[in-house]
Amino acid sequence: MTISESDASLVDSTGTDTIVELRDTSVSFGMDRGESRVLNEVNIDIERNEILGVIGESGSGKSMFASALLDAVPAPGTTTGDVIYHPEDGDPVDVTGLSKSELKQFRWEEISMVFQGAMSSFNPVRSVRTHFVETLSAHDYDVDAGIERAKDLLEDLYLEPERMLESYPHELSGGMKQRVLIALSLVLEPEMLVMDEPTAALDLLMQQSIISLLNEIQEKHDLTIVFITHDLPLVADLSDRLAVLYAFEFAEIGPADEILERPAHPYTRALLNATPNLSAPLEQMRPIEGESPDPVNIPPGCSYHPRCPLADEQCKSIDPGPYDAGDSRNHDVYCHHWEQSIDDLERAFTESNSDDSPATRNASHSDDAEPLVSLEDVEVQFGSENDGWLDFGESDVVTAVDGISFDIYENDVVVLVGESGCGKTTLGKTAVGLQRPTDGTIEYKDRDIWKGSSGSSTLEDEEIRRALQIVHQDPGSSLNSHQRVRSILSTPLNRWHPDLDGNDRRERILAMLEYVGISPPEDYIERYPHQLSGGEKQRVALIRAMLVNPDLILADEAVSALDVSLRVSIMDLMIELQDAFDTSFLSVSHDLSNARYLAEKTGGRIGVMYLGELVEIGSAEQIIQNPQHPYTQALRWATPELEQDDDPDENPIRTIDVPDQKNMPSGCRYHTRCPDARETCRTQKPELVDLSNEDGVQRTACFRVDDDHEYWDSEPITDDAVDGDEDDDHVNVSG
Amino acid sequence: MDWRIRRLGQSVFTVWAVMTLTFVLTRFMPGNPIDYFLVEVGPDLDDPAQAYEMAELYMNINPEDPLYIEYYDYMTAFMQGDLGRSMSMNMPVEEVLAIAIPWTLFVMSWAVFLGFTAGIAIGAVMAYWEGGKFDTALTGYATIITSIPFYVLALVLLTIFAYRLNWFPTGGRQPEGVEPGFNFLYLTGIVHHAMLPVFSMFVTSGMAALTMRGNSIRVLGSDYLRVARLRGLSDPTIAIHYVARNAILPMYTGLMIAIGSMFGGAVVLEEIFVYRGMGWYLIEAVRARDYPLMMGAFTVITIAVVIALLIADLTYGKIDPRAGGENREAF
Amino acid sequence: MKRSEDTNQFDGRTSDGLDSGGDLETKPDSVEDILRSDGGTVDSPFERTATVEETRRDRIDRKLKDYLWTPWSIMRNDWRAIVGVSILVVYLLIGTVGVYLIDPTHPTHGESLVGPFEDWSHPLGTDQSGQDILSMTVYSTVPILQMMGAGALFTIVLGTGFGLVSGYKGGMVDTVLSSITDVFINIPGLPLVIVLSVLLEPEHPALVGVLLAAAAWAGLARAIRSQVLTLRGEAFVEASRAMDVPTISLLRKEILPHLMPYIVVNLVNAARRIIFAAVALYFLGILPYSDANWGVMLESAYRAGAVYRPDAIHWLLVPMIAISGISIGLVLLGQSLDRVFNPRARARHERSDDGKGSEPESEPNTTNVTQM
Ligand code: SF4
Ligand code: SF4
Repeated sequence: MTISESDASLVDSTGTDTIVELRDTSVSFGMDRGESRVLNEVNIDIERNEILGVIGESGSGKSMFASALLDAVPAPGTTTGDVIYHPEDGDPVDVTGLSKSELKQFRWEEISMVFQGAMSSFNPVRSVRTHFVETLSAHDYDVDAGIERAKDLLEDLYLEPERMLESYPHELSGGMKQRVLIALSLVLEPEMLVMDEPTAALDLLMQQSIISLLNEIQEKHDLTIVFITHDLPLVADLSDRLAVLYAFEFAEIGPADEILERPAHPYTRALLNATPNLSAPLEQMRPIEGESPDPVNIPPGCSYHPRCPLADEQCKSIDPGPYDAGDSRNHDVYCHHWEQSIDDLERAFTESNSDDSPATRNASHSDDAEPLVSLEDVEVQFGSENDGWLDFGESDVVTAVDGISFDIYENDVVVLVGESGCGKTTLGKTAVGLQRPTDGTIEYKDRDIWKGSSGSSTLEDEEIRRALQIVHQDPGSSLNSHQRVRSILSTPLNRWHPDLDGNDRRERILAMLEYVGISPPEDYIERYPHQLSGGEKQRVALIRAMLVNPDLILADEAVSALDVSLRVSIMDLMIELQDAFDTSFLSVSHDLSNARYLAEKTGGRIGVMYLGELVEIGSAEQIIQNPQHPYTQALRWATPELEQDDDPDENPIRTIDVPDQKNMPSGCRYHTRCPDARETCRTQKPELVDLSNEDGVQRTACFRVDDDHEYWDSEPITDDAVDGDEDDDHVNVSG
Repeated sequence: MDWRIRRLGQSVFTVWAVMTLTFVLTRFMPGNPIDYFLVEVGPDLDDPAQAYEMAELYMNINPEDPLYIEYYDYMTAFMQGDLGRSMSMNMPVEEVLAIAIPWTLFVMSWAVFLGFTAGIAIGAVMAYWEGGKFDTALTGYATIITSIPFYVLALVLLTIFAYRLNWFPTGGRQPEGVEPGFNFLYLTGIVHHAMLPVFSMFVTSGMAALTMRGNSIRVLGSDYLRVARLRGLSDPTIAIHYVARNAILPMYTGLMIAIGSMFGGAVVLEEIFVYRGMGWYLIEAVRARDYPLMMGAFTVITIAVVIALLIADLTYGKIDPRAGGENREAF
Repeated sequence: MKRSEDTNQFDGRTSDGLDSGGDLETKPDSVEDILRSDGGTVDSPFERTATVEETRRDRIDRKLKDYLWTPWSIMRNDWRAIVGVSILVVYLLIGTVGVYLIDPTHPTHGESLVGPFEDWSHPLGTDQSGQDILSMTVYSTVPILQMMGAGALFTIVLGTGFGLVSGYKGGMVDTVLSSITDVFINIPGLPLVIVLSVLLEPEHPALVGVLLAAAAWAGLARAIRSQVLTLRGEAFVEASRAMDVPTISLLRKEILPHLMPYIVVNLVNAARRIIFAAVALYFLGILPYSDANWGVMLESAYRAGAVYRPDAIHWLLVPMIAISGISIGLVLLGQSLDRVFNPRARARHERSDDGKGSEPESEPNTTNVTQM
């Protein structure tokens, strides 16, 4: 072998200034089925003032890595090995050996942490100010000075300091809580900040805004940031270095640009290929085969070998040590055959922006085609009908969907995107007859679907009811946890195929399970949902909808809750089922990359919603490559890319937080955040304008698409980024 | 509208509903008091028509009037604080009860307070040493003490401490031969008399302890507790402001329900300890077939519970910033 | 029970690293594969019908397993369940078989106030009028069990019915039903029952039980309602609605199983409270009675001054022990019952012999509703 196995990571490379080094650090839990290693002898040097992105799927040990840095692994887990912290001036300290009081000082003053659950990181009965005060006084800091610092931090994070401090946690939106938590973790001026999935529950725009704020904060406070996430594109742009975790070990560590352009580890390459994004050609996106190992029995040798196309005998027995794959700074890869991997394994994004347009399928519909489902001026309001005789409740009406019309054709795919609370889910449910609109009509094959039904939840016409189905976002709650797969899947058969007897039902269920790749089906049919993995649950949910033989399925964030590497495969399955069973999909997503994958692959459309209105709709190519509406452009900006961008663009929105839905902005609803807003936008409401051309269909609701509009003569609205008044309110209506 | 006003409206509605219910019971239930006057008392009188007057006098209902007038009279009389006239004591019901109310309140509030305080303390300790010997032993204690009806405990306490050991009086609510008033002897005498009834209600501590234990364990596993530890907060801060406060808050609802059932329990306790509170009068009225007093006592006890629940609900808003009334969201 | 939005929606992996994520990633067979493997006779898995018969026997076996063996194997491992069930079985035996083994008693059956264990023709002694206490206790068990059964059942049916309907229907129905519930929550139970029984004078034990339930159902109804409110928004309920599953079977199959642990625990608690209240009312001498029961025994012992007469203390103690004993049995059973309905526990116990049996013990407790 000619490759030299270097001890690259063990030598403290000169010239760099290490702040934390991990040596053979392991975290293990004793479980009744054996010891479970959830972090397995990892070595890494974290450099001062860098942003290190740590990428791992669920079950890769990434949260344990975060906890180990602070020696904060929850009991009964134990940390072994060394975690050495190098203060700027002073002797290195071994974090695992600190006493309780030393540890108390070390945490938050030297290294602090932002947990993934910002929602639940605050004591619900104490005000935000109290959280700051108690932190400061617990560490004997001057409270007044500390509060001033906190105010500055909050201000930097585009929050109103006074209002935030006086609030209780439940009064803040998710995005606000997350930012307050960042401020709280920085109030003691730590050297290093560890962030564990800090943006996972947030909307794209909020995510990206926080990411850009992080960049500023890192520079301003000379911070070292360790950013842990499952979402590779999210940190690609932000990080200086990237570390990829697989099966509780590092697979590859190196400078971000190198990892993205010249990934050496087969897993990294596969992961990059599996990640939906906006620019890569679709045919190169593919899922990773196989599944991650269980922490109790990690395969010997290279833990990736059961899934690796290059695996050989050496891989199965010998743990791959770090090989130096970098020409530049240390780029370590834990793979015996990394050179072969670079040469032989395709990587999708080597030449980015290849002009791909050949859609796999073109479901183009001429205008005279009969729509399957047609929505006409649909409006949905919540909260008004609640005034019973004893209920003197305030009637705050929230208009979730406000006058939307569009058509869905046979074999069509429409993906609705938008921030949470924009009404996309409500609109979707209205379209499939699960939510009665307060105004407007929905027609299925020219028949009003609500005709004749009195209640708000049941359609009168059986045929229509059967034609419209739903698959939900959260695989956790889409299946009844008290029923076995057998009864879950029997429900639609009992209802719609009463001619089948028990044996036929069983046989059909088995066949379907096998069809979607769940085997052996005889085993799975007796399982409860908690015995299925996320992907399996989602497949069962898909089959359940398919068994009804519907014409239109609402897929409500069907893949958002899944790991990145699974999303592509579930979306492929959806497309395949759509082909096989002649259905249409109305999909709802907050993620533009997923939307693009689904829509572009099927030749479908993407609809962009903002505050209950459809602001732009068009073919996937048009929306992604040529967005006309400023909001679509903002979403496009907020969707992370797998490339390192040298000059990060300006944040294209003026305020981060969504306006209060009980107090909708006048005129164009986007005018409070739109960078191009002018006085006209305050008073007039733009209509959807048809911009379709030979490139595809596209309709946009913005004055800017009309060259002669008076908009061009009116005064621009200018205000500073922090918008002090009611615009900052945010209501978290689930969308 | 403010949820507090809504809550107040709810209470008013409840009182109205209870009054209507008592009206219906008094007037229409098989074996109702009006029939009692007309059928049982009436024939024995010289002038059977007098029965109507008696009904009017005692129950505020004149059976000769049309129904809506009967209802109107009944309700207006109640609104003016007129609950009828006790037949056995021959005084207005409201006067009889006015004397009794403070005693019941006195005993019951102490019982609720002590029961819950003890339960919370025990539950917290159990959660702290979860799984340990202490926890197991106290879980056993809590299980057994909740299995014992409070009146059985009362009888046991009465037998041992009053009759056998003579530590406490066997009955009554105030010391005999002592001048009532703010003097030391009288006040200690009252406390002395209330002791056994209060401790009989100690059974509630078992349930409270088990609930507190469960809540504390849940809070101990929460994210915010982990973050608080990482932030380096001191142990007392964590114990009091984080664990205790968040574990006790959800018990407030339980406390409210406990108040209701305790007023019910007062009936039995006061009978056992011959403690002349509302419950005792209720039973006396039942024994003497004194319907006006019985209905009056029932109404007053109910109103006391309604008010207690109202106060509890309203104060809950003060201690939990998240309170905003119940959310009756509609789909 | 409020399910807050705190649950992390997009990334529920709070215990990252502990759960072994990942998924079986086999590429789905294409339609063609199915065609070929079936020799072209079947063109889609939608059309497939049975080739192997599942016999009636198999089905019965499966039901037996679901309803008997699995619950049993879960409870077998819990001492509280064993003790609780044993105690209740003893009471049941006393109430059914016992009455045939022991002769009824009558005044002057024996000497007045024979002490317990003194005279073996009266093992537990006699009361003042010479009635055999053991016999009275045994014969009291029957009406007490009837009362308990009728009362608990009525509480559950009424409470669950009100809660389910008002929670699921919402709107006006909900407003009316919950207003009624609120009123009943505010009325203290025992005084209400006292007033009702004075007026109605119920004689039959089952009737007494139903009457006592009038004061107990409202709390349950309110709790069930708030749980249904959460459940009806759950994805799987919505999916069933989309599939046009009739409301009745939706409530029965999708919603009720989630409430079962709560309902069963409440059934047991209600049974206990009914006994407490019934005995209290007999003790107060408010309910009319013709036969002896524990409450009546307590009353007559108390009236006869058993609290201060050492020679009569057993007369008071025996019914006390009888009440507390059945109550302990019910409490223990209640504590152990909710696991039976937990799918994780079920799955663990039914496949404890193969590899999938070792599920992590991190089950969310759905029945952790604070109740006092
Ligand atoms: S060491 Fe072998 S099995 Fe592991 S990633 Fe490299 S080639 Fe694949
Ligand atoms: S109409 Fe005005 S405010 Fe609205 S998107 Fe266009 S430019 Fe922006």
